[in-house]
Amino acid sequence: MITTDIIDSEDSTNIKKYDRARLRASVMSCCLSVGCPEGQADTIANFVCNDIENWLTDKQEVTTKDLINKSTKFLEKYHTEASYFYEQKYLII
Amino acid sequence: MDIATSLVVIALSALIHASFQLSMSVLTLLSANTIGNQKTHRKLVGLTVSFVFGAGLMTLLLISFVTLIFMIIYDEIIPQYIWAGACGLLIGVGVSIWLFYYRREKGTMLWIPRNIAKYLTERIKATTLTAEAFSLGLSSVTAEALFIVAPITIGALTIIGLPATWQLIGLAIYTCLSISSLIIVSVAITSGNNISRIQKWRESNKYFLQFASGAGLIILSIFIYVSQILSTAIGQL
Repeated sequence: MITTDIIDSEDSTNIKKYDRARLRASVMSCCLSVGCPEGQADTIANFVCNDIENWLTDKQEVTTKDLINKSTKFLEKYHTEASYFYEQKYLII
Repeated sequence: MDIATSLVVIALSALIHASFQLSMSVLTLLSANTIGNQKTHRKLVGLTVSFVFGAGLMTLLLISFVTLIFMIIYDEIIPQYIWAGACGLLIGVGVSIWLFYYRREKGTMLWIPRNIAKYLTERIKATTLTAEAFSLGLSSVTAEALFIVAPITIGALTIIGLPATWQLIGLAIYTCLSISSLIIVSVAITSGNNISRIQKWRESNKYFLQFASGAGLIILSIFIYVSQILSTAIGQL
């Protein structure tokens, strides 16, 4: 069970516990946005969550920016276009 | 200005308006969220069409409003100092676009304050109804008022000089051309083009679009200055 604190990069008073379901939904939504089939998107989202949890094991707290950067990096192993769009999603507006 | 020249000026103003990117960014994110949340294709079409319709309606309302205000104040004859002011506005906004339009970061992050960007992103995530997409279209045009004020002012000043029937055509030309980029992107998305490719194109061409918008405004100001101020001044000699 991962209990790392996730600190909002733009508002350091906003601290939440790591939420696998939330990360999984976000990665899956991004994979679907770039045209991944549902099954593949689901598998990739689980892989990315596992990678993130391995990375978080020895960490007390990370920022949302760290989490996005790491997720983008892990996602790149499985789907380059989804990884590109996952990063861009936060930089479009 | 004769009718043909006026229509060309209106068309150029509208194309400069079309090159502004806030509505485009909102549309891209709205489509990505809709596809990502596994909504039906029909829903995607409904939301994008409503968004584009909202943006078009707000543009039409803004240009009609500015035209009406100028018409009430100046009737059909625009004083030269107003044209001179409009030229200054065009140059000021053109240079501001070159300097501030995109943030010097990755992606296509725009000049708008981060809290407004965050608010818009949250609204996009919450958008599921066509009425919400429509209001998002309205607000995305309003949020960019700081930059669209220049092409809209020139469009309105030029429309006043046209005969009554041509004024309606001028308004229609401005509105249709100003949302042409949104129509192209929404057609591309709803016909199955990959959103990441569209975003990649936007990101790799962002500095060109920034340069083109700024240059377009400055060229327009030079043209207006020569045709409305310099030619009259020379004629009086």
